[in-house]
Amino acid sequence: MTPWRELPIARRLAAMFAGAALLVFALVGIALYQVLQTQIVRYQHAELETKLRYVAGSVNACELRERWHKVEDKVDSLVSSDRSTKVWAWSDSALFRIGAGAPPVEAARGAADRGMGRLWLADSDAPYRVLAQTIPAKGERPPVRIWVAIDSQPYRAALRSFAFALVALGLGGAALVALLGHWIAQVGLRPLQRLSSDAQRLSPSNLSQRLQPTDLPPELGRVAGAFNGALDRLEAAYTRLEAFNADVAHELRTPLTNLMGQTQVALQRPREAQRLTEVLTSNLEELERMRGIVNDMLFLSRAGQGDIALDRVCVPLAAEVAKTGEFLEYLLEEAGMRLRIDGAADAWIDTSLFRRAMTNLLHNAVQHATPGSEIVVEVRCGEAVPGDCGSGASVAVRNEGKCVEPQHLVRMFDRFYRVDEAREHRGERHHGLGLSIVKAIASLHGGNVFANSGEGRTTVGFSLAAP
Amino acid sequence: MKLLIVEDEAKTADYLRDGLAEQGWSVDVARDGNSGLHLAREFDYDVIVLDVMLPGLDGFSVLRELRLRKQTPVIMLTARDRIDDRVHGLGAGADDYLVKPFSFIELLARLQALVRRGRQQESTELNIGDLQINLLARRAFRDGNRLDLTGKEFALLALLAQRRGQILSKTVIAAQVWDINFDSNTNVVEVAIKRLRAKIDGPFRNKLLHTVRGMGYVLETREDEDAANARPPA
Repeated sequence: MTPWRELPIARRLAAMFAGAALLVFALVGIALYQVLQTQIVRYQHAELETKLRYVAGSVNACELRERWHKVEDKVDSLVSSDRSTKVWAWSDSALFRIGAGAPPVEAARGAADRGMGRLWLADSDAPYRVLAQTIPAKGERPPVRIWVAIDSQPYRAALRSFAFALVALGLGGAALVALLGHWIAQVGLRPLQRLSSDAQRLSPSNLSQRLQPTDLPPELGRVAGAFNGALDRLEAAYTRLEAFNADVAHELRTPLTNLMGQTQVALQRPREAQRLTEVLTSNLEELERMRGIVNDMLFLSRAGQGDIALDRVCVPLAAEVAKTGEFLEYLLEEAGMRLRIDGAADAWIDTSLFRRAMTNLLHNAVQHATPGSEIVVEVRCGEAVPGDCGSGASVAVRNEGKCVEPQHLVRMFDRFYRVDEAREHRGERHHGLGLSIVKAIASLHGGNVFANSGEGRTTVGFSLAAP
Repeated sequence: MKLLIVEDEAKTADYLRDGLAEQGWSVDVARDGNSGLHLAREFDYDVIVLDVMLPGLDGFSVLRELRLRKQTPVIMLTARDRIDDRVHGLGAGADDYLVKPFSFIELLARLQALVRRGRQQESTELNIGDLQINLLARRAFRDGNRLDLTGKEFALLALLAQRRGQILSKTVIAAQVWDINFDSNTNVVEVAIKRLRAKIDGPFRNKLLHTVRGMGYVLETREDEDAANARPPA
């Protein structure tokens, strides 16, 4: 049998409807059965009462022994007209008795006056309903106790067939509800089926395809909307990835062209060892460049997947910036620039990654700053409390020089994005991944990057969140 | 010094063997894990270069099996540099870990470091030609004259002198002198070398600090001046 959670929704609903219907029918049936039973008992009681009153009246009227046969006649007529009725009379005198078989009378002796009792007789499957009354002595007649009993067999049969009808109707009704429920559910789920076949038609070859949220019930409309939103994001990510692939291919094409071309030219005819050494050396430089690109790309990809473990320690940021500044000291000196570090903050950082980000930022500033100017690094803390590493921090590198256009500012952290192609060859090898690495490192620390430019100053930096 | 290379990629294994043999190593090569393990167990090597992806028995398994009997230093090579790989390798008893693509001189430096580890007491007084370096006093003399070096310049000179005759890549220099453990894409090391060269070699005929283009820098005395001059200047 199929497990419940694998059942189609329509069948589940049908089964649940059927269960609910069965429960309702059962409760109603039980209530009806109780009502009928109570009514029947009341009816039996009333009938017994009438008959008892009839017999009791005639017994009461009888004062003399010779008149007792009149009572017997009345009882005979009552019993013969309705075979299900039995009447007994008992007194101390054997002359004033009706009905043989003391045992049933004895058994029924317990039946209280005006209270209904039960009496089992040997010739019947069902108990008799019995009502008793004692008539006080009058004239010659001693006190007589009389019993009237009716057979409850027909009532029981009626109740039984009523119960059977209830069960049959209940089950049939539940089955009908299940069938109707299934049909209703199928009709109700039709929009879902349409949505599903819509979704099946989506193909990777056409990324701009979307589900049609119109004509859908509001609940499904929201699902379709959410799904379309996910498709939008996927399409954007896919497009970015494609652009990135193209960038990578383009970036690797230059060194590959150089490698192949130089090697082919060198092999065209016999060369001196020195010439070959030069070709190999040049090839090595190109290969180093490729290695740099591949390593940086791998770093970005792993950072994007959260695959880089942070080894965070709480340190004063200004000191870390100073260490990076020390590394770049010669470059600053050559460009005639000075480095100033303002502010103080302690933060939880991976020092190696932080230095990498700082190196990229400072190097970027050195390349774009006006010769002879000052580069300022501002270290800021959430609350400038020394020794407090819990509030996050930010580092901003400001340099003087040509401003960056606003349209470049937003994109300068993108991979392979260059604000100015011409600047590329001003320094050393540089493939446009430096600032995207800064961004990746900021993200790894739960922070973000920022950049602004104006009035001859450009500030680029990143924030670090408290861990 | 005896070295075993366990590497299935033929070109890699061949150039490693040739390059290391030229550097004076006695090299054995195994092309798969099982024969590598066999050689490593049967013979005593000074160091083993072990690839992770191998046919038959992979590098981690070879290392695990080997460590049951021997403590030969092992450098693992892998094309993957996920953190868990690294942890796995070092946890299994590797002594070092190198990610492809690696540069040959990087490997050379690591091999020498592994073999040197704990082998000799570093001397505090170094002499290369007429260059004298006192590591304790942090002073350097050339031809009897005291050289006026900054702190970083001295650190750079000391590093080159301690590894004399060995080509040091820019990455290694940046890591050792500035504690910068990544490819910085800057020419800081070139500038630093240029300054140091001006101070130690500038006025002297015998040049000691040499650039090996595309690879790095080396400090050594060269008898053959023509050969030294043939190298392009930095």
